[in-house]
Amino acid sequence: MKKIYLLLLAVILLIPLYAAVGCDLNDPDRDVKRLFPGSTGYRTHYRSISREGGKALLDKVEARLGDKFSGLFETADVPYTLYEIYNGQNRIGYIHGVNQKGRYGGIQVFLVLDNQGTITNMYMQKLSGRNSTAFRAETFTKQFHGLTLADFESYDVVKRSGRGKAAAIKNPVSADVDFHHIMRGVKKNLVLMEHFGSWGSL
Amino acid sequence: MPTINRIAYKNLRRKRLRSILTLFGITLSTWVLVSLLGFNQGYEKSLNSDIDNLGFQVLLTAKGCPYEAATLMMQGGAGLRYLPDSVLDDLSEHPEVIGLTPMLMQVAFDPHIGDTGGIAAYTGVDPRTFPGMKTYLEFAQGGWFEDPEALEAVIGYEAAELEQREVGDYLLIPDHDVELKVVGILKRSGTQDDGTVFVPYKALQKVFGVEGKLTSIGIRVDKDTNYSEFEEKLYELPDVQVVSMAQVKSTISNLVGTARIMVMSIALIAILIAMIGVMNTILMSVLERYQEIGIMKSMGASAMHIFRLIWTESVIICLLGGILGALLSIGLAAATEALIRYILPYSPKGSLIYIDLPLILRSIGIIVGIGLFSGIYPAYRAARVKPIEAIRSSEGEI
Repeated sequence: MKKIYLLLLAVILLIPLYAAVGCDLNDPDRDVKRLFPGSTGYRTHYRSISREGGKALLDKVEARLGDKFSGLFETADVPYTLYEIYNGQNRIGYIHGVNQKGRYGGIQVFLVLDNQGTITNMYMQKLSGRNSTAFRAETFTKQFHGLTLADFESYDVVKRSGRGKAAAIKNPVSADVDFHHIMRGVKKNLVLMEHFGSWGSL
Repeated sequence: MPTINRIAYKNLRRKRLRSILTLFGITLSTWVLVSLLGFNQGYEKSLNSDIDNLGFQVLLTAKGCPYEAATLMMQGGAGLRYLPDSVLDDLSEHPEVIGLTPMLMQVAFDPHIGDTGGIAAYTGVDPRTFPGMKTYLEFAQGGWFEDPEALEAVIGYEAAELEQREVGDYLLIPDHDVELKVVGILKRSGTQDDGTVFVPYKALQKVFGVEGKLTSIGIRVDKDTNYSEFEEKLYELPDVQVVSMAQVKSTISNLVGTARIMVMSIALIAILIAMIGVMNTILMSVLERYQEIGIMKSMGASAMHIFRLIWTESVIICLLGGILGALLSIGLAAATEALIRYILPYSPKGSLIYIDLPLILRSIGIIVGIGLFSGIYPAYRAARVKPIEAIRSSEGEI
């Protein structure tokens, strides 16, 4: 009987998700421990631009990102999975992932953030392409550690250039455009966390 | 002057709780009956639609297990052996053949799937013939590739959604270090094509080094063709296996046959329960009104009048229960379908429960028929009541 209830519940819950695909950790129990070694637990929240502010919020997000949401899979109704990370009773940070269109399809960019919104770790769960190993290498991802949205404010995701710490991040494979897609994904993630995170001002 | 129908209705209202409980039982029985009959016709319809959506009536593969071939075809998996593409020329000589579409299925290990990598499947198709056989496929973005040798791909909706691919993206076949440009994203079709990556078959032959080889050929035949004779002719070709849609239907029907027998048995039990419930309610009502029936007869009511009165009560209760049960089955069709999909070993993509007006009328007819049948005995007992004995007796002595 329990299975039937769960099935019915799943059917009801899945209906609104048909329209959009979110970005979840493949194995949250394992991944949270790996990405946030000091954690003892986590809480999962499902957030959405369309539910929490609609067009007005989307406009703000796009303005901070410096680009419009576009394509089949980057829409306001995408459900975002936010992992709130705890050590005992204390929240010690967040893990949040976004889907970003890349040359070979979607790239899943996960950021590990402390309570002030500073990147402490970065993880690309899905990334296809010839140079995926280079983009997943610590030598590349470590360049993002310690950065905040403030460091990306002067980085233009459309012109793919800018000033400051974000613009100084080096492309491990100079001709590969997926670098620019990753940069946009990171900025989009940080902008969304300005709304989802406890420090949020959006 | 009160009519028999009105008296019957009033009698049912006199014992309201008992009537409501019986009505509830009939409603549930009708719900089960309509849902199960709806499933019977919905399943058949969806299975036929799945088969028709394949776009061809016969599939030719290299010699192997026919059940395996059928499963592979339904699931869109990889073939095990190859046919030479010269078979296409042999087949085109058959007068029954009105269309042929060559297919090549290949798989490659993709380290980017999941955490530890996985198998990516590609279906090579002929851009000149395949779209004509799959006319139900519509595009969310882009369109079909035109060059049979182009390094391009069309992706089913679910495959695109999973990988978040759009037109203009590239798709890397990692084992072969080859990039395919995505030129089309299909709309959701509810078929196995939703999870498929289509590539021009000649390009796929080159990429995987299997030039001149195919895994299967879809054959569209003239509607007047005698399938058995045609299959015999096809078996004259060397090392081929013929899978006709009739075989596929029969294999799947056999698979779910046991489940269908089980659900029809449940329907039968539901009908029996309803029948006994109605009979019990009406008989109890006759017993309680023994003296009343005697008085009615002494005042001039004939045995036929009493018989009709009691019979009408059964019909009213069954008709109302039938209508409520039919409405309930329509309202709960989606939930019932989800439950059936969970139970069945294989279920087609379309709607599994198909409830239409003829089915509803048929089911209500069955339930009313049950009412008429169940009411015969109580009505007969009531009609046989002797007025003097009834008036003299105390309640319940029949």
